[in-house]
Amino acid sequence: MKLLFQTSGKLAAVFLLLLFGTVVTTRAQGAKLQLDQLDVLANKASETVDVRLDERLMQTTAKFFSGKDPDDAEIKDVLKGVKGIYVKSFTFDKDGEYSPAEVETVMSQLRSGTWSKILTVTSKKAGENVAVYLNTAGDQINGLVVLSVEPREFTVVNIVGPIDLEKLSKLEGQFGVPDLGIEKEKTKKKD
Amino acid sequence: MKTKFTIAGLVIALFLGARGPNSFARGDGFNDAVRTIEQFYHVKHQNIPLLARAGMKAVRTAARIKGGDYRRLAEAGSIRVVFFEDQNFDSRGQIANFKAALQSTLIAEWSPLVQTLAAKDEEQTYIYLRDSGAKFSLLVVTIERHEATVVQATVTPEILAELMKDPGDMGKALTDDATINDN
Repeated sequence: MKLLFQTSGKLAAVFLLLLFGTVVTTRAQGAKLQLDQLDVLANKASETVDVRLDERLMQTTAKFFSGKDPDDAEIKDVLKGVKGIYVKSFTFDKDGEYSPAEVETVMSQLRSGTWSKILTVTSKKAGENVAVYLNTAGDQINGLVVLSVEPREFTVVNIVGPIDLEKLSKLEGQFGVPDLGIEKEKTKKKD
Repeated sequence: MKTKFTIAGLVIALFLGARGPNSFARGDGFNDAVRTIEQFYHVKHQNIPLLARAGMKAVRTAARIKGGDYRRLAEAGSIRVVFFEDQNFDSRGQIANFKAALQSTLIAEWSPLVQTLAAKDEEQTYIYLRDSGAKFSLLVVTIERHEATVVQATVTPEILAELMKDPGDMGKALTDDATINDN
């Protein structure tokens, strides 16, 4: 009986440790969107880009950005603390080749309490609609999503981990992040 | 004693079971990727000696990757290349299914890094990554309408960091080098 209690105690401790580990991991991964359901769009898209840079890869490579090159130093600074960059981008030949239901699979995740929209850029003429969402816990930024919805293009950029919004544009055109013109649009708005 | 034999028998059976048909059928990612292409597109790969005998580009390409423009890919380890030439790669509007098939084949050991697809032109590039101790292994699968290439190479973290700045370009450059015959 004593052995049984000892074994049960050990099992309970292991279980609690596993539970704690799961909670910590879930919080860290909370800013990572589920985007695999969009993969089916590749059948209709004229061009599909899918980039996944996870935490381990980010950490391993970030330290190899030289501090001597000013561009590299800036990128290194932006990447500090970033746990992942995930991009899915679909370009279509004709309008209406993807449905609002597909956009909704992403939007529904962004409606949870931890996400808030911080910027919307709409251009009726070009049919562009770019929105930036932040995932926060108190003052801490856990992640960011840039959603670009156009008649012939649908792009989701999901950056997991703390990121300085002022430096976000440094990542455009790097690491598979498309040039979304966020900084330019922000400047235009201020003018 | 009989119990001990039974337990020993079970352990051996489990061990053999674990190493049985599944693990022998499974390759190292490279062969799995080649097999997935063959099964999905009903094509057959050609290996380098065969192409070399036929006087085709494969050997030169492999040599160039090893010592030429892409020596950075080869500097830290071996290069493996398989070609599919003059064959028909038709996804029948189901290019996403091939992507999913490749993903499920490789996901246990390889992490997807970059994937670019152009369904209309039947062009696909898949770059997968695997930790190889202090270095990384890259598996690059490129498919076009009539040919495909599977390349596995080892890179240092420094090179990987450089490649990651424009991950799509690396796949394209490697594809071009492996598929453009500059005779």
